[in-house]
Amino acid sequence: MKVLIVNTMAPFVWGGTEELATHLQKNLVIAGHEAEVLRIPFQWEPAQRLPSQMLMVRAFELSNVDHVIALKFPAYLIRHPRKTLWLLYQYCQAYDLFDAGQTNLLNSYLGADIRTLIKNADNESFAESRNIFTNSEVTSKRLKKYNGYDATVLIPPINDPELFIGGENNRGGYIFAGGRVNEMKRQYLLLEAISKTTKEVRLIIAGPSDSPEDAEKLRKAVRRLGLEDRVKLDLRFLPRQTYAEYVNHSSAVAYLPFDEDSLGYVAMEAAIAGKALITTTDSGGVLGLVKHNETGWVAQPDIFSLANAMNEICCDMQRTKIYGLSAKELLLSFDISWPKTVEVLLQ
Amino acid sequence: MKIALCSTFVPFIYGGGRNIVEWLQSMLEQEGHHVERIYLPQVDTPDLLFRQMASYRWIDVSSADRIICFRPQSHLIDHPHKVLWFIHHLRFFYDLWETPYRSFPDDAKHRGIRDALYAADTAALLEAKKIFTNSRVVSSRLKAFNMIDSEVLYPPVFQPERFYSRGYNNEIVYICRMEHHKRQHLLVKAMQYSQTPVCLRLSGLSGDLRYLNSLQHLISDLDLKKRVILDHRWISEEEKVEYLADCLAAVYLPFDEDSYGYPSVEAGHASKPLLTTTDSGGVLELVSNGVNGYITEPDPKALAEAMDKLYMDRQNTRAMGKNALARLSDLNISWSHVLKRLLA
Repeated sequence: MKVLIVNTMAPFVWGGTEELATHLQKNLVIAGHEAEVLRIPFQWEPAQRLPSQMLMVRAFELSNVDHVIALKFPAYLIRHPRKTLWLLYQYCQAYDLFDAGQTNLLNSYLGADIRTLIKNADNESFAESRNIFTNSEVTSKRLKKYNGYDATVLIPPINDPELFIGGENNRGGYIFAGGRVNEMKRQYLLLEAISKTTKEVRLIIAGPSDSPEDAEKLRKAVRRLGLEDRVKLDLRFLPRQTYAEYVNHSSAVAYLPFDEDSLGYVAMEAAIAGKALITTTDSGGVLGLVKHNETGWVAQPDIFSLANAMNEICCDMQRTKIYGLSAKELLLSFDISWPKTVEVLLQ
Repeated sequence: MKIALCSTFVPFIYGGGRNIVEWLQSMLEQEGHHVERIYLPQVDTPDLLFRQMASYRWIDVSSADRIICFRPQSHLIDHPHKVLWFIHHLRFFYDLWETPYRSFPDDAKHRGIRDALYAADTAALLEAKKIFTNSRVVSSRLKAFNMIDSEVLYPPVFQPERFYSRGYNNEIVYICRMEHHKRQHLLVKAMQYSQTPVCLRLSGLSGDLRYLNSLQHLISDLDLKKRVILDHRWISEEEKVEYLADCLAAVYLPFDEDSYGYPSVEAGHASKPLLTTTDSGGVLELVSNGVNGYITEPDPKALAEAMDKLYMDRQNTRAMGKNALARLSDLNISWSHVLKRLLA
């Protein structure tokens, strides 16, 4: 089958959604289909431009395509008789962010009209779709609450599970915190916490920082707390192999984003490697994978609660290992894989 | 520089229209530019034309320092620094209007669409900082239909330095898709009139099984199996380099194409003369008869005569091969020239 993945783009920006589209394309080809990605430029500022951007997508004509998989607003407005949505993103500023006051839709008749337009266009697109899936509970709930549509969650699979083979903590034992470094991911909380643990606990924080300030904040905290011999910072974009080795050789993985939409790649990669997880009560979707005292520790988002969990990891390595195996078992029970995902998206 | 390469595409159709974009992208990235490639869908049905054109006007690529647009209707995209490498019009409304290829009637409605299209195209073309085309044919159409001047910027092939010559064997090669308008059949028919042991190699994939069958039948009916190799597959780039390195000469004789065709340029980089015909269109911008190849009537006997000359007069064949390479630099067919002009 000729499958066209339809996505939006901000020209010159490449991020997680682009990666996801590329991996979806690759896995459609593996499953024996022809697959290509159409990336439609999208400009949402100023908000008065939104209607023309929506019309733009709506007016495009597709030929020589058997099946469309559309991912984001407004790309999913594209017309095709056989269109399935894997909804990663609605225009949240017209929905939940509007309610929270974080919106570029002016508090005026025009803003209200644009909001109505977005909602109506969305509803029309959802109605004409063959199937709707989302990437997370949060996206599904938003869709249900504002548009009244039910959608099954289809969690994006790990792109290279074969790298996360697990292994022994033969590098002296450390807790690993990977992924992007920024305020929302709260790596600094781990630094504050480790200063309150026993001296045996060690920590590696590795990944690209969103800004130089984010990196500097961590470096300063290490110096201030005198953690140089117990904490390693490797703040850069890591080759996948390097990243996977950090995971594979760790004792456990800590991941405490604030209110994440989905399970999170970082948590899924740790679980597939059989590593116990530390997260916090307000980490959102990650809690789907971290069950307290089963697959890891769900701490309060405070220094002492986290320090306590970090101590427990190191004082009973046997238990930590068992939690890690349970995390892997739980993730496998979700049956998230590319072959299955591709099959479902083509139904 | 942040450069957006904008073109249109039909999903799952690959070929020249994409090559020119993707090869340029690769060259620009080598030079350290930040390149974004934007392919948008385009369907040529007259009734759907103008709404799609509206879409193109709404595309915002203002984050680019400069955009380069290729296939129609990408030239409609609005940008303060728009450069066009224009490769053709919507041809049914332009040069193909008076031909049987036009798939809609010549009536008041379609003439109205045509006039509006000319006006919209001309206005969008005038917005460009600079217009380049891929051939003199396309430049003369821009002049005739839109009254707009343009500069010919011949598209080079990918990594031309791969090609070289190792010698001159007895084989004339035609490496190209096997389609009726590429006219492999003329060459097979020519082989029956050849007076020398010259051989013919046809390499390429066919999208038209009937045409492929007819070629196979022709070869066996004329008892040419020993002298004509029909290799029906998409050969690798490495194989292509090898065949061109060893062959006597190369062929490219499509019916009336706009541009000279990549096979012609690849042959030149391998210092091999080119055999083509008087009605092949853009190829004639590249080849001068007796200088860097032969141009014959599109007739099997005339082609056979040229093939025999290539075989018999090796010294001249060799000399024409050298001229074929020199001709490429005379016409400035090189990436360094392309980058210099597009980034000027």
